Amino acid sequence: MSVEFSPETLKKFEETVNRYPKKEAAMLPVLYLAQQEFGHLGEEAIAYVAKILEQPPARVHGVVSFYSMLNMKPVGRHHVQVCRTLPCALRGAEKITGFLKQKLGIELGQTTSDKRFTLTEVECLASCGTAPMMQINDDYYENLTEAKVTEILESLK
Amino acid sequence: MDPVNIIIDGREVVTTKGKTVIQAAAGVGIVIPYYCYHPKLTIAGNCRMCLIEIEKMPKLQIACNTQATEAMSVLTQSPKVLAARKAVMEFLLINHPVDCPICDQAGECWLQDYYMTHDLQASRFDARKEHDRKREIFGPNVVFDGERCIKCTRCVRFLQEITHTNELAVVNRADHSTIALFPNSVLDNPLSANVVDICPVGALTDRDFRFKVRVWYLQKTPSICPGCSTGCNISVETYQNRIARFKPRINETVNSHWLCDEGRYCFHDLTGGPRLTTPMIRQEGGLVPTTWEHALQAVYAGVKSAGSLAGILSGRNTNEEAYLFAKLAKRISANCVLEVFYRERELTEVQKILMSPDRSPNFRGAREMGVSSNGGFESLMEKLVAGNFSGVYVVGEDLIATNGDREKVRAALQKLSFLVVQDTRLTETAKLAHVVLPATHFGEKEGTYTNRRGRVQKLNAAVIPPDGALQDCDIFLRLLDAAGETHSYASVAEIFAVLAREIPSYKGLDYASIGDQGIELGSGSVE
Amino acid sequence: MEKILLRNIDVSDSHTLTAYKSRGGYGSWRKIVESMTPEQLINEVKASGLRGRGGAGFPTGMKWSFVPKDSPKPKYLVCNADESEPGTFKDRLLIEKDPHATVEGTLIAAYAIQSHTAFIYIRGELAFGAGRLEQAVDEAIQAGYIGKNIFGSGYDLDVIVHRGAGAYICGEETALLSSLEGGRGWPKVKPPFPATHGLFGCPTVVNNVETLAALPWIIEHGAVAYAAMGTEKSKGTKLFSVSGHIAQPGVYEVEMGYPFKKFLNEDCGGVANGRKLKGVIPGGGSMPVLLPEEIEKVNLDYESVQAAGSLLGSGGVIVMDDSTCMVGAAWNLARFFAHESCGQCSPCREGCHWMEKIFRRIEYGAGEKSDLDLILNVSGNIMGNTICPFGDAAAMPAAAFIKKYRDEFEAHIAEKRCTVAG
Repeated sequence: MSVEFSPETLKKFEETVNRYPKKEAAMLPVLYLAQQEFGHLGEEAIAYVAKILEQPPARVHGVVSFYSMLNMKPVGRHHVQVCRTLPCALRGAEKITGFLKQKLGIELGQTTSDKRFTLTEVECLASCGTAPMMQINDDYYENLTEAKVTEILESLK
Repeated sequence: MDPVNIIIDGREVVTTKGKTVIQAAAGVGIVIPYYCYHPKLTIAGNCRMCLIEIEKMPKLQIACNTQATEAMSVLTQSPKVLAARKAVMEFLLINHPVDCPICDQAGECWLQDYYMTHDLQASRFDARKEHDRKREIFGPNVVFDGERCIKCTRCVRFLQEITHTNELAVVNRADHSTIALFPNSVLDNPLSANVVDICPVGALTDRDFRFKVRVWYLQKTPSICPGCSTGCNISVETYQNRIARFKPRINETVNSHWLCDEGRYCFHDLTGGPRLTTPMIRQEGGLVPTTWEHALQAVYAGVKSAGSLAGILSGRNTNEEAYLFAKLAKRISANCVLEVFYRERELTEVQKILMSPDRSPNFRGAREMGVSSNGGFESLMEKLVAGNFSGVYVVGEDLIATNGDREKVRAALQKLSFLVVQDTRLTETAKLAHVVLPATHFGEKEGTYTNRRGRVQKLNAAVIPPDGALQDCDIFLRLLDAAGETHSYASVAEIFAVLAREIPSYKGLDYASIGDQGIELGSGSVE
Repeated sequence: MEKILLRNIDVSDSHTLTAYKSRGGYGSWRKIVESMTPEQLINEVKASGLRGRGGAGFPTGMKWSFVPKDSPKPKYLVCNADESEPGTFKDRLLIEKDPHATVEGTLIAAYAIQSHTAFIYIRGELAFGAGRLEQAVDEAIQAGYIGKNIFGSGYDLDVIVHRGAGAYICGEETALLSSLEGGRGWPKVKPPFPATHGLFGCPTVVNNVETLAALPWIIEHGAVAYAAMGTEKSKGTKLFSVSGHIAQPGVYEVEMGYPFKKFLNEDCGGVANGRKLKGVIPGGGSMPVLLPEEIEKVNLDYESVQAAGSLLGSGGVIVMDDSTCMVGAAWNLARFFAHESCGQCSPCREGCHWMEKIFRRIEYGAGEKSDLDLILNVSGNIMGNTICPFGDAAAMPAAAFIKKYRDEFEAHIAEKRCTVAG
């Protein structure tokens, strides 16, 4: 198998697994490690995680496909996720999404040709008091305006 | 087993502690509809079809996960329950393609059946239906139609809990949820086709059976799987005098609800190919058709004068046939060596769930009937190859095809002064015979098998043998007549009655009481 | 009013152990481990009247008392930090600004049920908050508050911060446990209940962040002081996340029983831009919307909000002014639930999408008059008929929007366009 953890990640994997009462309980943290290492969770990555966690690959596949943060397909370097749920919608989320589409020249679910940005809409991110908002990779960007979005995009290379 | 008294629809029902309402109701014939519940699998509780009303509980409860407790009062037909069932049916059908005319499950589909009993309304869903994969091959025996799937997860649970092979999982979420194999894997475990049986709808269908015949044309005969000596209870389902499929019949002491793939499809090998329909006799180096009268005379004369004689019976022959065969052998020659065909192979853990290591469903019964000279089958074959016999009478087995060293066996058989082969087809072995007797296969006969564990079970004729062939019992009886046997047997039942008097471990067993579930050896009433 | 939950958040570096300790942090933990039995602790919390803040409002002390004391199996305490209810962001504030309060609360609850392994299950998107919690746990380990033989008592406890991966349903406690077991976030059929058969079949208690964060204060000041606040049945204080068309959105801590209208108009500065209130969801996106006239006499406590026809839920207050298209709002939430249904139960899996499709066609001018009764009927068919409360959560807001804004829906259908927002 060509997909394998680096020695450093393998060490993290072992530390993680050891803290849990059962190996399989470490499924999500290990999938995060894999996503970080391999970029996305394709078939090979899933099969690899299944192997090291001693789980059936079908089960891991079922798990990966259940959670919105686990990507079975590659995403751009910056995964722009705009919240679309009611509190954000009430404060203009749709406009922000429209602006992002125009600015990046892509539709929802697409990645820019330079692989820099992937744009998606997501559900409530617990940031309703600072709506509208978006998450790019692990970071939250709140109280968005078009000017702010422009600034943020430019800061991300 | 503490008794628990509950009331279902005003009727007093006594059940036992730990039983669920669905089980308590089924015990007294009250039908509560369900899809995801299966008595052999963990409770999923996801289909919501078995919702019932329980006194003092504000919400409807699922009968599959509600334990019966003392004085519980259950309503299975209240307006609230009926409305909920109707609602669940409507939900299950909104994305269903309703392609019954091209669906193999039609006629035994729980969606169809429950629609008739619990829904019977036009769908109010007029939006675009969600699509899913059609005709995805899951494995050699199973094909999947995602659009017909109701996500009851019976198949997933079967593969997790029974075979522990875990090939399938639910993937995605919400109404994109679907059943999937991990990419590039195959659903090919030795019990794989059971997922077709437990799929309540047309999502998983049998690749071997599909498009062959509409299920409502099938005639169903309860019988026993001839695949091995586990003796799984089956329903032999036929159409126009041909076996179309095997389905498992529930027998908790034998196979529970299951049937292995090898057994399920073994009828193709056992019944396929051109049938022998006329006895044949060797003349001038070739086999030529003859009459039964001539053939049987030749057999009798041949075995009588053969000198050292061996008789080999198939493990698929019934107890009654074995009894007569042993009796015949004794009449002909006191030294005749008898054995049942028996050969073992290694089994994997999954195979061991159901399968026995042999392919001789009635080896135990046949031996107990006297078809055994204590040397075992392999030792008999060694002697045969070594040229120790001059005459051999083979029933229902192709000794050449089933042996690793075919040429050795062929050479040994060629050297015999007399070889009788009684079979359904002109096998490699039969081609060497001096007399060939056209007989019947497991699906054409009535009788009993005794499985590996000593359960006597009943085989029933599901199809009619071709003209010209004779039942093995009839052949043996005619030869016994020739040998001077005075007792006549009017039926298989009568043969069984006689053997149940003679064979110690079968003493007191009653043919009629074998029924569809079989009886244990030693359970007969001893006079 | 004395702040209980938000008492530390304005302190500089409030997330650090130094700041937390300077405010008396972990004093309750020491007091419990050194001088209280689990029974005394449970009784104290029972006496405080604290109820679960995740949405269901179940008495916390009673929940703990369901855990069998004589079970030979390990016991688990899980802090539910999977805050995902639309309009709710209070736990996030606590986690990011005062993570040690959550950690200390987790330790206290773990001690109450004598668990030796506790998990803090935080929604995956809150990476920053997860980092804060991990740092807090590390600091607490260093300080000897977590680990072996805590304060020399012989009591051992480990705390694991576990990140979810994006699924609203994992906030439901049995779904959370399925997820923590390494599976899909599928709610489990009950019975059995988590108190006896939870994580890996072992006795488990799941408590919300806000519930746990109140514990250090309750132990420090006593059950009587906590119970002195609030109403007869809703004790203490509660956090409200206020969003939407409100002048000052944010997280507020108020005493239970505080007048809703006063809260919106005075504490939160009223409807934004001086517009008129059209509707308000008091308890997060899964609760029925209330009309302005319905909140006139409502107080912010479990009983009062329920009497008004909605539920206090998570305290996620979503304010909608008179420019809001209620068809759009209803569709937005229907889409949320259609997206987040776990897909197990037939009524929820199929029904949520069906409702979403009908709302969508109304929104885009293709609805029919009969669609409104159809949604009411479909939502009724989901309601109460699923494994977990998600079905109700999807059904209730859908029905409430139609019942309360029926004229607007009918006008939208008749005109094939929005008649409010244009």
